[in-house]
Amino acid sequence: MTADDLDRILASEEPLIPSSGFAAATMERVRESASAPPPLPFPWHRFLLGLLVMLALSGLGGWAAVRLHAMEALGSAFGYVLADPHLWLPLAGAGVALAGTYLLVGLTLGFTGASR
Amino acid sequence: MDRVEADLDLVDVRRVLAGDPEGFEGIVRRWQGPLINLAYRFVRDRGRAEDMAQEAFLKIFQQLARFRGDSAFSTWMFSVALNVYRSSLRRRAPPSVPLDAVAGMVGRSAPQLALEEAQREELVRRAVAALPPRYRDALTVFYFKDKDLAETARILEVPKGTAKALLHRGRKLLQRKLGVLGAAPSSAREAHA
Repeated sequence: MTADDLDRILASEEPLIPSSGFAAATMERVRESASAPPPLPFPWHRFLLGLLVMLALSGLGGWAAVRLHAMEALGSAFGYVLADPHLWLPLAGAGVALAGTYLLVGLTLGFTGASR
Repeated sequence: MDRVEADLDLVDVRRVLAGDPEGFEGIVRRWQGPLINLAYRFVRDRGRAEDMAQEAFLKIFQQLARFRGDSAFSTWMFSVALNVYRSSLRRRAPPSVPLDAVAGMVGRSAPQLALEEAQREELVRRAVAALPPRYRDALTVFYFKDKDLAETARILEVPKGTAKALLHRGRKLLQRKLGVLGAAPSSAREAHA
């Protein structure tokens, strides 16, 4: 068998005759398809609007959480610092660290909470 | 495809798009043979080929509004059908081919080969159906469309050069699998296509 034999084999194929009921059966399905209600399109406008609202709320929530927790932390640290002057420096550092932690946690909670 | 047939297709397409699904019957009657035969070349199973062709007609009907008339209706129709067939083949591949059986026939005597000719031809066609999809599609459509490279490229939705490369590689792969030696066939014919 040569390459030309392959060419000849692939080029020559006995055509199939469709079954007698094929066209009728196909048209039946076409009619069913034509009479069926059109599929509901995906509501892209509503989806995008919802997504925007969700992102805005998420941002707002994150910002509010950060602001609230940071203010609380700074307020507590400020009270100790005022009572004992020796603690001003370490407590100020601790307050900043706490505020930073709250900032991160608040941001995370804000985004996570808003996305539910 | 002749001019009259193409005109009839366009008349039927306009009728369907105007809201009369019965206009599609002409398209089904004219193209049922070609669509079933193309499907058969992929699956080598008459029943499944008819099921696939029916799915293809349904998809063509549902997507008819997307036909812009940039190409012949038949080209667009075969392209849609090919995508339906690809999806079907991805879901359920045809039975694999024992290529060793074909390769084993190469060394047999002439009388034996003559007796086994029909079986051998069928195995070679099944070997094409078992090629990786891109080569399988290119070879199948090319021979189905009477070696018309330009039309094959349009149906595959690839540039002509890409179609030619796919055919070349597909044939080489087939020859390697079948253990056939010899020059690539019909390269001269493709050069003129």
